[in-house]
Amino acid sequence: MLDGIVKFANTIFQPLINLGSAPMMLILLTLFALVLGVKFSKALEGGIKLAVALTGMGMVINILTSAFSKSLQAFVANTGIELSITDVGWAPLATITWGSPYTLFFLMILVIINMVMLGLNKTNTLDVDIFNFWHPALLGIIILYFSNNLFVATLFVVFIGVLKFINSDLMKPTINDLLSYPEENPTTTTHLNFMLNPIIMLFDTVFDKFFYKLDKYDFNAAELNKKIGFWGSKFAIGAYLGVFVGLLGQQSVTDIFALAFTGAVSLELFSFVGSWFISAVEPLSQGITNFMAKRFPGRKLFIGIDWPFLGARAEMWATANILAPILLIMSLFLPGNSILPLAGIIAIGLTPALLIVCRGKMIRMVVIGVFMLPLFLWSGTMIAPLVTDTAQSVGAFPTSLDSSQMISHSTKEGPVEGMIAILIGKGINNPNIKSITFAIGALTLYLILFIWYAGKMKVRNKIYLEENDPNFSSDVPAEGTL
Amino acid sequence: MIKILAACGAGVNSSHQIKDSIETEMTNRGYSVQADAVVVKDITEEMMSKYDIFTPISIPDLGFTIPIPVVEAGPILYRIPVMAIPVFDALEKTIKDNNLK
Repeated sequence: MLDGIVKFANTIFQPLINLGSAPMMLILLTLFALVLGVKFSKALEGGIKLAVALTGMGMVINILTSAFSKSLQAFVANTGIELSITDVGWAPLATITWGSPYTLFFLMILVIINMVMLGLNKTNTLDVDIFNFWHPALLGIIILYFSNNLFVATLFVVFIGVLKFINSDLMKPTINDLLSYPEENPTTTTHLNFMLNPIIMLFDTVFDKFFYKLDKYDFNAAELNKKIGFWGSKFAIGAYLGVFVGLLGQQSVTDIFALAFTGAVSLELFSFVGSWFISAVEPLSQGITNFMAKRFPGRKLFIGIDWPFLGARAEMWATANILAPILLIMSLFLPGNSILPLAGIIAIGLTPALLIVCRGKMIRMVVIGVFMLPLFLWSGTMIAPLVTDTAQSVGAFPTSLDSSQMISHSTKEGPVEGMIAILIGKGINNPNIKSITFAIGALTLYLILFIWYAGKMKVRNKIYLEENDPNFSSDVPAEGTL
Repeated sequence: MIKILAACGAGVNSSHQIKDSIETEMTNRGYSVQADAVVVKDITEEMMSKYDIFTPISIPDLGFTIPIPVVEAGPILYRIPVMAIPVFDALEKTIKDNNLK
């Protein structure tokens, strides 16, 4: 039935689709915002900004991939290392996803899910981070790419959405502890980042059992960040990675300099254009928040916002800075990887989750982080064809580039979810015993792990409650005891 | 012109939301402000010395003592106007207490 609705919609909207992605999303976003009660001028402003951001992002991707294409091919030829996928970071992927009309559909589904769960008291989190709905939407788009089955794609998006809202509540006491928030502070997050928590918790549990004595070697993260200074900034990363690719591609000195400065300007521009794009979604975000908040007057809610409020903890950055060169070296040798880390080398798709589960213990964050990095490289490699094709379909990719050239993100949030989405999509497209078993098996394991993790977080949360209220009695053992 | 430094983890989403909200509201309150959005990890003492007020989401550990007044701006991100008012009130009080123009 859902496919029938989409076919009907396609018939009605085909002239719109034929206009191209930027004009189409201008109109769709404007209309959607109007339906939610946003003033016409604000709704139209958002729509135009989205079209401009889509166009701008395509231009920056063109600059970066055109400049690096020749050198990456030479790099592969000279070294034999197949790292032909250009890492463009999160901003282009967000823009590409928001360039698909399916994103608005999945956004609507997730808003409904959030409201139903709030109504049934299955969550206390009101999710106002509308921009980041692109993450679960991309999972749905992955399934659609392989199977064209909107029903299954929607089911998976709902599945992930439900777990994200539950996780947001589970993390709240840890967030309060890490940022010294008072009990009445409502801040939490539903970012897909944190769905890696269950796997990290597995490793953290092993650390608790066997390696907890290493915690005493933790070091001052803020001091480390201060020493690293500008070397961790976007333009610096772009510059020295441009030099790295140029040297290994045996390019001329002139070309190496050009690569360095093109890399630097591209990485800065990705963020700059990304901010237009966020500004574009702002009227819609406010409209949805107004709509949802009115439905729960007087209720004490947690409010799910984007993850960067956790950036106040220096450990997150120190870990990302330490993992960056490790990620680069790992990418050269990891079997099954084809991405050379560039725009995504500062792993903000990983370190917030490490911060929450390891609770700021640096040694654990770094060691466990090293074990998590391969998941990101493999997932980024696996979704590269889809990302590239989708970028082309929304007009954000230079069609003049060689067909072997692809784009992706080396530290894309939700690596496990992305891989499961691929398994599901392929299982639907080519159903056989093996593919169905893998897909169902992966989903089952994922759910079991999440349930186990939720149990561990509830134990931690009871301890937080006990620490904050001396009169509270609990028979739960303190952390670190076996 | 009162110069305000807004910061967040990626320097794109949250900090721009804070920047835009502060500029709009403080202008409505009759103040001439300019807010810049940066990634929190890129903040240096030299950078901060060029601003009058720092508005992070939550107060970060930057490895140095923050030399300018700080107003935590996190509640702006809730998108619920009544929850953001205390932030703007705190900003206005900071501007008045420090005679900023």
